[in-house]
Amino acid sequence: MLLKDVVCPYCACLCDDLDVTVEGNRVTGVDNACDLGAHKFQAGNRLPGPVRPTEKGWDRVSREEAIGFTVDMLLSADRPLIYGWSTTSVEAQSLGIHIAEEIGGVVDATTSVCHGPSILAIQEVGHPGCTLGQVKNRADVVIYWGCNPIEAHPRHLSRYTMYSDGFFLENAFKERTLIVADIRPTESANVADEFVHLKRGGDYAVLSALRAIVRGKTGSIPSHVAGVSRAQLLRIGEVCKNAKYGAFFFGMGLTQTVGKYKNIRNAIELVDELNRHTKWTLTPMRGHFNVYGFNEVCTWVTGYPYAVDFSRGMAFYNPGETTAVDILARKECDACLVVASDPAAHFPRAAVEHLAEIPVVQIDPVVNATTAFCDLQIPVAVTGIDAEGTAYRMDGVPIRAKKILDLGYPADSEILREVYQQIRDRKKVREVKPV
Amino acid sequence: MRFMLFSGRTIRQGNAVESKLSPEYRDATSVLSMTPFDMMEAGLDEGDAVLVSGPGGQVVLTVKADEHLPAGHVFLPYGPYANHLTPTETHATGMPDYKAIPVEVEPAEGKPVTVWELMRDLGGVPHAP
Amino acid sequence: MTELLLRNACVIDPLNRVNGDVMDIAIRDGWIVESVGNGAEVIDARGFLTLPGGIDSHTHICGTKVNFGRYMMPEDMRAGRTIRKGVMHATSGYSVPTTYGNSYRYSAMGYTSILEGAMAPLEARHTHEEFSATPLQDTMANTLFDGNWPVMEAVKEKDVKRAAAIVAWTLAAVKGFAVKLTNPGGTEAWGWGKNVTCIRDPVPHFEVTPAEIIETLIRANELLRLPHSVHLHCNNLGAPGNYQCTIGTFDLVPDLNKERQSLYATHVQFHAYGGTSWKDINSKAEPVAYSVNRKPQIVIDMGQMMFGKTTTMTADGPMEWNLYRLHHNKWSNHDVELETTSGIIPVYYSKKSLVNCVMWAIGLELALLVKDPWQCLLATDNPNGAPFVRYPEIIGLLMSKRYRDEEFRTIHPDTGKRVILDTLDRELGWHDIAVMTRAGQAKALGIAKIGKGHLGVGAEADIAVYPIRIRDTDPSRDYAAVVSAFQRTAWTIKRGRVVCRDGDVVVEGTNRTIWANSRVPEAFDMGRDPEFVKKFDRYYTVRMANYPVQDAYIPRSGCIESEAVL
Repeated sequence: MLLKDVVCPYCACLCDDLDVTVEGNRVTGVDNACDLGAHKFQAGNRLPGPVRPTEKGWDRVSREEAIGFTVDMLLSADRPLIYGWSTTSVEAQSLGIHIAEEIGGVVDATTSVCHGPSILAIQEVGHPGCTLGQVKNRADVVIYWGCNPIEAHPRHLSRYTMYSDGFFLENAFKERTLIVADIRPTESANVADEFVHLKRGGDYAVLSALRAIVRGKTGSIPSHVAGVSRAQLLRIGEVCKNAKYGAFFFGMGLTQTVGKYKNIRNAIELVDELNRHTKWTLTPMRGHFNVYGFNEVCTWVTGYPYAVDFSRGMAFYNPGETTAVDILARKECDACLVVASDPAAHFPRAAVEHLAEIPVVQIDPVVNATTAFCDLQIPVAVTGIDAEGTAYRMDGVPIRAKKILDLGYPADSEILREVYQQIRDRKKVREVKPV
Repeated sequence: MRFMLFSGRTIRQGNAVESKLSPEYRDATSVLSMTPFDMMEAGLDEGDAVLVSGPGGQVVLTVKADEHLPAGHVFLPYGPYANHLTPTETHATGMPDYKAIPVEVEPAEGKPVTVWELMRDLGGVPHAP
Repeated sequence: MTELLLRNACVIDPLNRVNGDVMDIAIRDGWIVESVGNGAEVIDARGFLTLPGGIDSHTHICGTKVNFGRYMMPEDMRAGRTIRKGVMHATSGYSVPTTYGNSYRYSAMGYTSILEGAMAPLEARHTHEEFSATPLQDTMANTLFDGNWPVMEAVKEKDVKRAAAIVAWTLAAVKGFAVKLTNPGGTEAWGWGKNVTCIRDPVPHFEVTPAEIIETLIRANELLRLPHSVHLHCNNLGAPGNYQCTIGTFDLVPDLNKERQSLYATHVQFHAYGGTSWKDINSKAEPVAYSVNRKPQIVIDMGQMMFGKTTTMTADGPMEWNLYRLHHNKWSNHDVELETTSGIIPVYYSKKSLVNCVMWAIGLELALLVKDPWQCLLATDNPNGAPFVRYPEIIGLLMSKRYRDEEFRTIHPDTGKRVILDTLDRELGWHDIAVMTRAGQAKALGIAKIGKGHLGVGAEADIAVYPIRIRDTDPSRDYAAVVSAFQRTAWTIKRGRVVCRDGDVVVEGTNRTIWANSRVPEAFDMGRDPEFVKKFDRYYTVRMANYPVQDAYIPRSGCIESEAVL
């Protein structure tokens, strides 16, 4: 059976034009997807059912036992951490946030180790953004800064920027100018009209130089800024100012390097400055499938996009203190629920070490590095393959991911709803009759 | 020799990320890229094992030439090997320095251990079906 | 079956011509009925003022731009925190509270139905997700058509029926309630960093004017028999001298509907400025109100501004950019392909700013100069003029000349030269306030017929009981008591259940979404129109099949059906 307009569950491009062939409850063909997306549909190695490690090996447990164990762990913890969320649905994320609220825990998402610094910058200076269709239909200048879409978001260029037809562009590819800024010539740099090869850690200075140029202060620019020549900077400044519509995309080359959120702040302020001349927008290249959805739902429920601590009853937010890496590094949490992510593979070593010291439950479809630290793992459906649910694209457009297979696994949201309900039952949360 | 290490995503790492215990994932994430000049200086050939020591810890990797890197810099795909070297300091942002890790690289014997071995090292219990 | 008897209620129910009678209200299964049995639960209202549940016909509470206001402003989140307690979730936020914060605070003020003022169709799912987390009110969403490409193409072709068909398809697809135009044409121009100044400027590329968009959609709206009229945020918001644009816009409006207005003009305070610059800005509330008084086909809301900190957020992206260049604080913008845009900046309205003082006076002047309260509703364009928690103070100001005079003495001393507020003696009565905060909204939105905004038999049992006895209160003198009463109900009843008691929420609640579905003849089904489908596929970045809001997002649906006449 051929399914049309399937939503890809891999990255935050959220391509929704996939043709997927399903035969005998198995995906046999994926068209339109990139390599990364196609792989995801065909990945195997699902855990058959909940497991826990014992002296003799890994034992299967029932779903009821697994949920009971999770509830016990969360209720008996003094400072539980609930972490993950980037590859599941908003519905599951919302339940996770409410579980943290109910038990006075900390809830954080993979955001804190990808675009957390972008959010900190936005909280300082705002965010001039747009949906990706604005770029597709209008942009004649596109910048990718500190990101490598050809490897990390392979269809970004063909769906939204360089190779995509647009309403206001006759011949999109010819009419658009592509600028890539990075510390090494990536695959994306190879297709750029202009490659800004800057020295590691030089992003802030180069962005400042461009801001000065856009403001007309060209005299203050030295011969080279972080390895970039004055002539190139002046040329790029002109291209940016003369654009009809410019779009600035950036990735972890800005968020994870020296300067962190201050780099992003400078990029945003460059875009603000350019808006005094013409139209410019800026978009973070959000990574995982629905990492942005977590930020959205966490914001409407708690007021903050990630790193929320409920230990005082109200929502408290202080990245650097209430973020997962910091809490683990300080060996502060005494239990951890991991959902839809793999902190053991992606956190610094010393943060991972603490996971071995405390009870850990993971809700995830596959065996991953974090499995090694689990006291229990509950396999669930993959959102976008065998479970449906809402995901937010990198530009904030929400799309409903589809269920195309039924493999008998519960969705994360089903497991979390049971956990939440049992916690509330045990805490006797109920409506009271007013007098 | 001292280098500045930065980590990042690659398409091989991205493809293997759903099966982290596979040899593909190990091979995709345990290869350290270095400029040919730096390799010559360090007396390394493509495929050699190196012991890399960073503020977070030590790990054995395989070395590979990449002429596009800046001199004095090494690149490692995002994953558990890179994170074995990464310190936990976040400078009050929640974000570790994934792209600015000072490391010492020296020739070594053997080859990169498996992801399970890395996790066992940290107190984990590898899953066996 | 559940029954409730609300006894000794001092009822003002303008739609049923009840004005201060003390009576009992019988409720069965969420609806008002003639009588209930002896077993009914009884609440003694003790002669307190009892009104239909409050309705906010223009507020920003859910969706992409509202959430971005929260996201970018942790300082605002910290300014309004409450803890998890009973059935209440933790809340954050002062000017842009979290969804539960909005819901609880509106409920404590007796509000039971609220309309989100601006939903971009492409991002409608987001608005509906937040509606589901706003459990104590029924919600509606104004749907933005100001920069809609297919609509502008139909306008250019002078094809009202095609415009109507596009509106019908879109509203049904995104579960929207009404047609919203925010700075029509200006939001498309903003795609190029440009704007339109008023109704006769052409929109770049599309070669239509705002006037043509407005006129076409007013007619299209009536062809579709939609419950509400076109809901317009006029061009040139916030600019000195803009009142002429506003009056010029009002002059476009035909009288097409006997039951309600043909145009709802929102937050008119921001559109009633005289002068030529910030230096000589002055009030033009008089000519604007004069225009409204002569045109029964127009209803406005005040868009009152109150002093203090708040956040401005609107689909009017170019206006927010202008505001940013004035204030130089943080600025967010979000353009939505083929449809619209939006912008956000935080502001502080100061009594020391002459401009702000003039704005404050204009909103009140409009309410006092528009003769018929059914034509001027009470709202702040929450949170643009002020957060909705300031409504009780506005009620106090409208009911008390003394309160106004006391405030007037504390503001910029030159204000009197720019406004006439200090010369207006009118004091609104309880009935006027009931009209301006519920009955008028229900009529203007076209939801009285589904049982909103009144307390007659057959109405939905959404009721607010305020702890004040109107016979013992002279609002002119005791305005502080009035303000306090409207801040916190004794009981808020939603769908026949007490949901809030003395300010504490006591039930979890479930939201219902009210939306409009106008059935069009098959020939006008845009889902099968080759031209519409082709352009959709080519220029949107979301597939047409994935665009409509699925039923899963509308857990409780209140669809208002109509038959289009095309």
